[in-house]
Amino acid sequence: MTQIVVTGLGAVSPFGVGVKAYWDGVRSGTCAIRPVTLIEADGFRCRIAAEVPGPLPGSARRSRGDRMALGAAREALDDAGLGACERREMALIVGAVGGGMLEGEAWYWALKRGGRRLRAPQLSLRSILPWSHAEVIGSRLGLEGPRETIVTACSSGAASLAIAADLVADGVVPAALAGGADTLTRLCFMGFNALRLLDPDPCRPFDRDRRGMSIGEGAAFVVLEDAAHARARGARVYAELAGYGMTTDAFHVTSPHPAGEGMVRAMQAALARARVEPGAVGYANAHGTGTLQNDRIEAGALREVFGDGGLLVSSTKSMIGHTMAAAGSLEAVATVLALVHETVPPTAHLTTPDPEVAFDCVPGAAREVSLECAISNSFGFGGQNVTLLFRCP
Amino acid sequence: MEPKEFLDELKTLFVTRLKFEPRRVADVGFETALPKGVEGSVGLDSLDFIELGIAIEERFGIVIDESQDLAEHFASFGTLCRFIAERVKTP
Amino acid sequence: MRPRVFITGVGIVNAAFTGGAAALAAYLGAPRAVLGASPRFATPVAEVPAAALAAFFDETEARRLSPVCRLAVAAARLALEDAALVPGRELGLVIGTEFGDLRSTIEFANGYLGSGPTGLSALLFPNTVMNTMAAATTIAVAAKEMSLTLNAPLVAGELAVAQAALAIAGGRARAILAGGVDQLDPFLFEVLTELQAGADRRGEGATFLVLESEATALERGARVLGEIAGAAWRARPARPHGIGRAGASPAIAAALEAAGADAASVRWVYASASGDEARDVWEGRLLDEALAPHRPPRTSLAPLLGRHAGLGALAVAAGACTARSGLLSEAAESGPSLRTVERGRGLVHAVARGGTQVALVVDGPGELA
Repeated sequence: MTQIVVTGLGAVSPFGVGVKAYWDGVRSGTCAIRPVTLIEADGFRCRIAAEVPGPLPGSARRSRGDRMALGAAREALDDAGLGACERREMALIVGAVGGGMLEGEAWYWALKRGGRRLRAPQLSLRSILPWSHAEVIGSRLGLEGPRETIVTACSSGAASLAIAADLVADGVVPAALAGGADTLTRLCFMGFNALRLLDPDPCRPFDRDRRGMSIGEGAAFVVLEDAAHARARGARVYAELAGYGMTTDAFHVTSPHPAGEGMVRAMQAALARARVEPGAVGYANAHGTGTLQNDRIEAGALREVFGDGGLLVSSTKSMIGHTMAAAGSLEAVATVLALVHETVPPTAHLTTPDPEVAFDCVPGAAREVSLECAISNSFGFGGQNVTLLFRCP
Repeated sequence: MEPKEFLDELKTLFVTRLKFEPRRVADVGFETALPKGVEGSVGLDSLDFIELGIAIEERFGIVIDESQDLAEHFASFGTLCRFIAERVKTP
Repeated sequence: MRPRVFITGVGIVNAAFTGGAAALAAYLGAPRAVLGASPRFATPVAEVPAAALAAFFDETEARRLSPVCRLAVAAARLALEDAALVPGRELGLVIGTEFGDLRSTIEFANGYLGSGPTGLSALLFPNTVMNTMAAATTIAVAAKEMSLTLNAPLVAGELAVAQAALAIAGGRARAILAGGVDQLDPFLFEVLTELQAGADRRGEGATFLVLESEATALERGARVLGEIAGAAWRARPARPHGIGRAGASPAIAAALEAAGADAASVRWVYASASGDEARDVWEGRLLDEALAPHRPPRTSLAPLLGRHAGLGALAVAAGACTARSGLLSEAAESGPSLRTVERGRGLVHAVARGGTQVALVVDGPGELA
């Protein structure tokens, strides 16, 4: 069976541009959730989010989402040291939800509120759909292999890695660029407010006093490569993507299955595909949104799969919020770097652990620990569960 | 407002916000249960209850405290009418 | 040996007809164009009649399903029924869409713009995410394996079928509902006009195929409609929304290679031509070059049924019909007509502005029959 390895990382996060800024922020347990500036938040219970600080890389003629996606994609390709020739045959799989909706909303808001059409609708509308990120990255960076845009709600970023891994494993391509991107949008911010799922304060996953999630934005990409191909060109290998599981609850549009049945199957499928025993997994980067429902059900599912042992569990969302389609890929990058640095990033704002959560959720400060394998969980509306399993090379 | 008027207002919200067919709510009464899975209920799920909460806040100008367990108040049309009436009276 | 990928069912809801393999065969035997003037649209479109869906849902289920979700769920149920497959856990879903649930998204935004935060609908919010049709469908048919929504300009349906075929050929799935769905909306046309991108003949509807591995299909004695012998997709160099230069088609080459076939064996082609002249010409050149010196008869169903993501999957099912019957539906100036072609394998092809190109080598049930 083809071994799939990670040879490049790229990130644009609420800590700024670049993987270094992202890892520094995540490792130090810094919270990047602040008052919203990109959109109007008046009248909402929650008025905070984790925005990517300016200035963004790339042309202002592109949408915010395309700029973040392109920035992270470029960093990952450069990091992997892949030249133009190798790039040409690479697959490009992008997880996306909001696309260029932020700019599309501005156009629509102006139309509905003032009855005026914003000038240059080409700029605000051309890149509105999720597929825009892939088209921009593909054409700018010269990727001519299989191209796909995947929408599995909040697990889109993780699903993109799974699908890319399949294309490499099937021998369709020797390498793939995979990841997700999402900006803050009015629709998303208003919708989660309407669902009463947002904490007015920065989210507190796994804390007894949690009151909901925070929204964030960002982009992350990884280069996945056939291990033999990576070895042949002398590439640096961060980790192996040893397995994944992708399942569907088929239960409810917004609520996870109460017993976490689909989550359990996703984690078990990842273990089975990687031929790894649960005991070999030392760290789980949780979906960890900070809603009562998610945290309790995810903790129960983790317990069912990994038992009450020494698994460390932490939530990157406690620092950068829920970055939607980017979440699965940003958290995959954090999981890979946890293996590389043998350091588990902490859960921020965790002061009073929920007694119903049977795990050490690494409150406040990062933990140095030797790790063999780690998983990253991502779950989305529509019962879309993805687990990625990484192993030290 | 009389209890019957609260019921009529709720029926209207079921049609406008929860997309029920008007004839489906025409014959519901105070005793008709709301949550899915209860016999004879109109079959609301978690998302319906959130929508209904928003709709009630907007229509009656009250604020519903979600940190409370609201299940007993959202059990039937009758319990919900009482819940709203109490809050409309004491702002 | 990689598992072969069989088509064992099809479910279709569109402006012309609603049904399974038999309804498709009947339509292809007597094709008619359904693009027409609509009071809601400035250009001729192919709209699904409201009555077409009424029989699929009781009141309780219909209340919570948006119109585009209803299209998807109805087509999925038809496909499973056509395949005589009981809904259940060993079923995956891959669905392509170009525009998602745009109508609900606009309605959701209008709630806020009309009444502020209390005007927002919690019920509509999940529909603003493009996987809403997949969510509704997986719940309706209890599909618990991989569920994927693919968003792409123009080629989303073909892409979804190709992606699903690869998952089965790779041994990662036994049975997948694969197809596409899209819905027309007047506001969408306003935006397309604003972007000067309104030339495509557009329709709406949903099509799902049931794809199964050979072993799964034979094990349960399934009727086989056809086979996806090879599937591949690649990106041709082009700017977003742009047309590329003609040239080689690695997607066609890879699909033929996977099928163990060569250009000479392609008897017919279903292409994606839909009235966007520059793109249609580009597609023609790509096909010419990829299949040269052969020039098998070529058709597109878009002028008949209107382009939508469901049509990509429908073309694959139609291809399996053509492979069996030797009949190819055409939209000539004088009206729809039939042309006789050599029976056997052919190509379903699509290319989008921006360069995504999909190729599927489709065969009839052939020697299995």
